[in-house]
Amino acid sequence: MPPENRQPTLRVTGLTQIFGGLHAVENVSMNVAEQEIVSLIGPNGAGKTTFFNVLTGVYRGSSGSIVFNGQEIRGLKPHQIVKHGMARTFQNIRLFANMSALENVMVGRHCRARGGFGPALLRSRSFLEQEAAIADTAWQYLEKTGLSSKANEIAKNLPYGDQRRLEIARALATEPKLLILDEPSAGMNPAESASLMELILKLRSQGITILLIEHHMRLVMKISDRIVVLAYGAKIAEGSPDEVQNNPKVIEAYLGKRKI
Amino acid sequence: MPPTLKHPNYPNSPITLFKTKHQASWKSKLSSLAALAALIVIPALLQSTPQAYLIRSAGLVGLYVLLALGLNFTLGYAGLFDLGYIAFYAIGAYTAAKLAILGWSFPVVVAASIAAALIVRLWVGVAILRLRGDYLAIVTMGFGEITRLVLNNWDSFTNGPKGLPRVGETIMPIRIFGFSLISNLHYYYLILIFIVAAVIISKRLENSRLGRAWVAIREDEMAAQLTGIPVANLKLAAFMISAVFAAVAGSLFAYWERFVTPESFVFWESILIVAMIVTGGMGSVHGVILGAILLGGAPQILQIALGGSEWINYRYFFFGLVLVLTVLFRPQGLFPEKRRHATLKING
Ligand SMILES: Nc1ncnc2c1ncn2[C@@H]1O[C@H](COP(=O)(O)OP(=O)(O)OP(=O)(O)O)[C@@H](O)[C@H]1O
Ligand SMILES: [Mg+2]
Repeated sequence: MPPENRQPTLRVTGLTQIFGGLHAVENVSMNVAEQEIVSLIGPNGAGKTTFFNVLTGVYRGSSGSIVFNGQEIRGLKPHQIVKHGMARTFQNIRLFANMSALENVMVGRHCRARGGFGPALLRSRSFLEQEAAIADTAWQYLEKTGLSSKANEIAKNLPYGDQRRLEIARALATEPKLLILDEPSAGMNPAESASLMELILKLRSQGITILLIEHHMRLVMKISDRIVVLAYGAKIAEGSPDEVQNNPKVIEAYLGKRKI
Repeated sequence: MPPTLKHPNYPNSPITLFKTKHQASWKSKLSSLAALAALIVIPALLQSTPQAYLIRSAGLVGLYVLLALGLNFTLGYAGLFDLGYIAFYAIGAYTAAKLAILGWSFPVVVAASIAAALIVRLWVGVAILRLRGDYLAIVTMGFGEITRLVLNNWDSFTNGPKGLPRVGETIMPIRIFGFSLISNLHYYYLILIFIVAAVIISKRLENSRLGRAWVAIREDEMAAQLTGIPVANLKLAAFMISAVFAAVAGSLFAYWERFVTPESFVFWESILIVAMIVTGGMGSVHGVILGAILLGGAPQILQIALGGSEWINYRYFFFGLVLVLTVLFRPQGLFPEKRRHATLKING
């Protein structure tokens, strides 16, 4: 099915985020269809991360609407948005540094599990079974991201590329419909980013919709179905990789206006 | 050999689940039992020797162990800097004293002092848990001092600096099955029982969905939230359970001393408990117990190691030394929390 006929997973309309006098995100509208890979690009400080932060509930947004899976989610708490099926990674890696890789991913299972003090203190059979399921499922996600051999490593001791993958594994463990990646290939060598690209394509083929910020243009052009360009908080262009690449506004935003 | 649980959907998964964490090996069980046996037998042997005073010291250290295990939930696991924790020890102790004077029975008194501590803790927690780091530390410190000032000045209820009970009243000793607990040895054993329960509770919660979420919050609150953890609720949960431990320790203290005054609940005590956790290792049950023994037992340790009681005057110096050495050489604590290899064992 062509993307435009698919059910939109995410529909953002007129989204604005103002910090004091700074319009970090200004009236941005965009859709992401089911199983689409959409990239968000733009110069430094364009408001890409801020846009993600509003989507995921870090900031409340000043106006506009975010409809996810048919439901308005602007103003919800971050953990509620995760439960709705949106998960993300961070531009600056934010792992639980002193927990093992497996435990990092197990934390991601929190929102899909239940039970508080009672079952934990009583060690009921259902509690132990759930713990088994959490560990096992977490391990499956490590396997999926190629990290299962490092399950027992402490997160902060992993090499940089693995830390980025572990963030993805942790996000996947929350069972997202929409996965949001903030510069996933930053700091990776060419081999690592090639295998990252493979992973992203694999996830998409398994039914996950992907929205990513990326500075690595070759990767962006290769994997994106659609690209959205932000500059100074506003959307300045949108289209297929080819369209965007040749759009004069985009070239101007990146290279600056040519002096006449 | 305990049975190994398998996830029904992944019977062939290479994980032998939680053998080490959920089902302690018989070796470690045996050594815990041996330690427990020593803790039971040695004081009984000491009782009729000139060293009998050590039983009382050990009981007091035991109260610090309970308090430190309690604060370990907020500070150790969830990473919340609570500098007013001693206030809940005070609330537990005063509630217990008040009710014991009225002749209520021990279990009811303990339940009531837990309830009192929880109510205040909930009220404070809802108001201040949004604060982070230093701000939380300052506000909790303020709360601790306010509590002490209230105890000191609310004459009609607390009898001010003179403490409870008032002249003519008494705190009746604990009676269990017609047996009155009166000696230091009795209270030592009672405290030991509560410590065993506290250790089991700590370990079970640590290795659960709650414990992992707490540690995640300590490691990176924002990432935890964006990984689906309801941070506010879980912080409150840690805050509440730590108040339960403080209230229980406070009740035991009130019954044992049969006397409570505001002097026992000064700011220094809150700092001391924080120091026990930092020294021992945040979030490590063994470490926290060791920290509590080391710092809580410092006067006795100094006296035994160096001889003569004048060393007691140097205990602050000793605390400072231990803290500085820990921070310099073992910033993660003497007995840091062990998260590696513990969660899973891969077959083959
Ligand atoms: N919490 C905040 N308070 C005030 N200003 C903010 C806040 N967060 C972001 N900004 C500002 O908003 C603007 C957009 O920042 P943002 O991080 O979204 O850019 P970006 O497109 O992700 O850039 P980069 O490519 O460098 O990551 C910047 O000017 C930044 O300083
Ligand atoms: Mg950014």
